[in-house]
Amino acid sequence: MSQNVKVVQRASSSVRDKLYLPAIYDGMKITFKHFFKNLSDINAVDVLRYPEEQPQDITDRYRGLHRLTHRPDDSIACVACFMCATACPSNCMFIEAQEREDGHDEKMPKSFSIDTLECIFCGYCVEACPCDAIRMDTGIFSLTGNKREDFVLDKEQLLANKGAFGEVCSCARD
Amino acid sequence: MSTASIIVAISSFALGTLLALMTIPVLVWLERRTAGLVQDRLGPNRTNIFGFRLGGVVQSFADVVKLVLKEEYYPSHIKSGKWLFMLAPIITFVAALLAFMVIPFADTLIIGDEHLRVQPLPIDFGVFWYLAVSSIGVIGVIFGGWLSHNKYSLLGAARAASMVVSYELPLGLSILAFIITYDTVDFNAMVTSQSELLFGFLPAWGIFMQPIASIILIITLFAETNRNPFTVAEGESEIVAGFMTEYSAMKFAMYFMAEYIAMNTASAVIITMIFGGYQLPYISTQMMLDNFTTLAICVMIAAPIVVTLFIKWMQKNNRVRPGMAQDKGREFETKFFTIAFIVMTIAIEFILLYLAFFSENLLAQSIYVTVIQIATFVVKLMIFNMFFILIRWTLPRFRYDQVQKLGWYYLLPLALLNIFVTALVVVGVSL
Ligand code: SF4
Ligand code: SF4
Repeated sequence: MSQNVKVVQRASSSVRDKLYLPAIYDGMKITFKHFFKNLSDINAVDVLRYPEEQPQDITDRYRGLHRLTHRPDDSIACVACFMCATACPSNCMFIEAQEREDGHDEKMPKSFSIDTLECIFCGYCVEACPCDAIRMDTGIFSLTGNKREDFVLDKEQLLANKGAFGEVCSCARD
Repeated sequence: MSTASIIVAISSFALGTLLALMTIPVLVWLERRTAGLVQDRLGPNRTNIFGFRLGGVVQSFADVVKLVLKEEYYPSHIKSGKWLFMLAPIITFVAALLAFMVIPFADTLIIGDEHLRVQPLPIDFGVFWYLAVSSIGVIGVIFGGWLSHNKYSLLGAARAASMVVSYELPLGLSILAFIITYDTVDFNAMVTSQSELLFGFLPAWGIFMQPIASIILIITLFAETNRNPFTVAEGESEIVAGFMTEYSAMKFAMYFMAEYIAMNTASAVIITMIFGGYQLPYISTQMMLDNFTTLAICVMIAAPIVVTLFIKWMQKNNRVRPGMAQDKGREFETKFFTIAFIVMTIAIEFILLYLAFFSENLLAQSIYVTVIQIATFVVKLMIFNMFFILIRWTLPRFRYDQVQKLGWYYLLPLALLNIFVTALVVVGVSL
């Protein structure tokens, strides 16, 4: 048993370390160096000044705000199958179906809204959709509004959101 | 009581209150921005009123508005004694505020044959007042922890209380060493005796006369204010947030502000006891009054240089990055403050010119000396507050047993030894 015990030498055993004050001095030197360097030229601090400077490095896998895709003839790609709403873990999708009259399919959504205050941006809806009708590739990362209702995106808004990384139409349908 | 003495008393009380209360938002802002700059980020600098950001100070006032408007929430398990629960942060706040009130901001003003103290509470036993009142603050902490009916809060309060009590001993002993050295318990007399010279070339500041007692004083005052590295009252990893876990909105803000006032008070005590208080090194009050013309000329030369440097710095830094489109009034703000500072400097120059060469008004001159001393005091106070803040971003929190060990095994014997040596030296000198 005892041969497995490893005795580790304490790192700070010199008098200088035990006094503690020199160590404080060393630390203060670093603190002061950063402080005065940044104070003398505040614009050189390497940060993103957010509202004025927008992030330039959003990848196409970034899960931004949702959008509903179109078919090549500009009609809605969604067939109101409720797969996304079923997969949604936070139950924040509200879909109403209606009969479809443009000759493509049987159904289309009469209303389609997402409460983004409840949405956790997990992307399950995108995975669940069988016809690539909902996507989160808008690149929109900031969502602002003045009242709660502003955060419930309805069908028109979702259709109006543009994809940010090419791929305009739904790949699954034509 | 003459009119002059009433005016001086009221204005020094107002000045004390203003210095204590107005430094809260400024210190909160200073701490956040300093933290940012130390860690290579910026800190709050966005909030503005009509484009005036003042570097972001406005943020603190916005925070105050937010805290005042927040819902007052009482934990439902506090059945009786809500008023006591509410009283606890007030005790801490008021104690920290009152302790500040005995700090002299300038030397005694002599008007006619009256000696008027520039001290919010004009008493001559300042050190005792400070020791007595500042240690009441911990009662608020204990009350808060106990009345929260929460084990974590109770543990936090117990840790804070035992630490403060442990460090009170070395604090008292180091202050005793200063009392022996200066032979007084009056803060103002302490400052006056620090205007002498040591060995003919060093200013006789406490830090040179009593280096060990000074270090003990600084360390123990850090502990008394519950600031890093002595934040054992808090401890996210072991005891949630410490004694203020159950406090919300303005009740929490009281504790929060009390911490900043306590820090301000501690800085004031440190500079008064060991860094010469309101005195400039090598220059005593009498010297300033005797050589008023020289002093005025020095200030007249120094003021434009300082203001120019500051304006240069502001114009360099208070602008958006090149390549950024929007400006949102920053250029206007810089222009406004540039003009304001220049006008202020010119006004000061003219007043000084008049006082130094065209008027023999002794009262105006001594008031001017008082103003210079107050300015010196405020500058020193802010420098030491910065020191407090920078220490926070340098040192990690001590473990609780380390805190107690440092207090009882090292500081207490050292303080005792220091008193012994001091007493020997003082007796030896007087023999
Ligand atoms: S991202 Fe997740 S939570 Fe949001 S709507 Fe889609 S499935 Fe629901
Ligand atoms: S978005 Fe896709 S999964 Fe959701 S209802 Fe429309 S077609 Fe179905």
